[in-house]
Amino acid sequence: MSFEAGWYAVAIAEGLEPGTSAGTRLFDKEIVVWRDQDGASHAWEDRCPHRGMRLSFGFVRGNHIACLYHGWQYDTAGQCRYIPAHPNLEVPDTIKVVTYPSAEAGGLVWIWSEMTTEAPVPPPADFAARPVRSLYVERSAESIAAAFVSGALGDFEASGPSVFETVIDGARLRLALQPFTAERSALHIVRLGGEADPTAIAAWSEGLRRGLEAPLPVRCAAPAAHAGA
Amino acid sequence: MILHDYELDSDAYKVRLLLSILGVAYDKVPVDVHPGREQRTEPYLRLNPLGTLPILVDGDMVLHDAEAILPYIAKRYDTGGVWLPDDPAAFGAVMMWLVFAARDLASADQARLHHMLEAPGDPVALDKAARAAFRVMEDHMTKRELAGAKWFVGASATIADLALFPPIALSRDFAIDHDEYPALRRWMRRVRALPGFITMPGIPDYH
Repeated sequence: MSFEAGWYAVAIAEGLEPGTSAGTRLFDKEIVVWRDQDGASHAWEDRCPHRGMRLSFGFVRGNHIACLYHGWQYDTAGQCRYIPAHPNLEVPDTIKVVTYPSAEAGGLVWIWSEMTTEAPVPPPADFAARPVRSLYVERSAESIAAAFVSGALGDFEASGPSVFETVIDGARLRLALQPFTAERSALHIVRLGGEADPTAIAAWSEGLRRGLEAPLPVRCAAPAAHAGA
Repeated sequence: MILHDYELDSDAYKVRLLLSILGVAYDKVPVDVHPGREQRTEPYLRLNPLGTLPILVDGDMVLHDAEAILPYIAKRYDTGGVWLPDDPAAFGAVMMWLVFAARDLASADQARLHHMLEAPGDPVALDKAARAAFRVMEDHMTKRELAGAKWFVGASATIADLALFPPIALSRDFAIDHDEYPALRRWMRRVRALPGFITMPGIPDYH
């Protein structure tokens, strides 16, 4: 199977603190995800139009993100607003960063995988969830999805092409799969319901990753409470 | 107290960082590591037969290796016992992470020197080992955050945090992005906000 243009989770929303930026990749395209001081998140091509530096290396100043190289500042629409070397310059409209449609739902940041002003389909509807963690796995998204569907790593049900659910320790988990590069993926894990120790779920996810990265799929050990379920 | 120092040495930076945070006065002697290899000349080999930096001279005492110097400075100058806790469990955990910093993160340091100064090494193997070590740190801090903690050990920053910080903070120098380490990204932000924090070349100062 392969993945098509669509909405993909790229981060745990609460992990992206106001005034910070993070780099990520979707289908190997470099993307900066950043949150302004007012709390809105943004997803852009991770490239300063000036010298091509990754904007995720930069820093957020108020509701602008500034490039680490020369401090060019961009507003929340991606428009360059300030060039420190030319403080009096009225910055031309053409100096603009390419943006991706993005939204937050279920405690995750979602991105439409193509650069466009408006996504052809609406973003995932919000759902009640508690964040657990993002898990980075050295395996393609296709092979992870296939491993989940095969049942070799436990009982996973697909609730969308890139979204899976399972029950661990009595907690219902949703795992949103992010095709990172051709060889790497991320699983953004949230808890939909059920009381469970989040650190135990995080420890379970390390075992899941070992299972996914093993040369041959092996059934990962279920925690005691899950054994036999 | 004299620190034999090289500005680009990430181990020497660990020591400078703790001394700055504690506000301890010291003299810094710059050593011409590149290209001079001064640390391997006779006067330096008498101080440290391993031919490495940093070297700390405090009165009659000579210490080498950051993971030995950090606990010494903490014991000697941090009278409150904050940076090296006395509690046996916390002390053990700090020492465990210091060993990790010296042993498991050595590949990160070697990868950086290979990229920057063409030091010998297999870049593919070093990259793999460095990523494996960073993943151990990421998994640990992920669980720490889920348990409501902010630092590697205990309720406040320790010398473990300072010993673990430079290799990941400098990892872009050897082509490992921070994209896959969200918990470490947040932790690095906390380290940067410590009173007395200082940078080194490769760690941008944007505060």
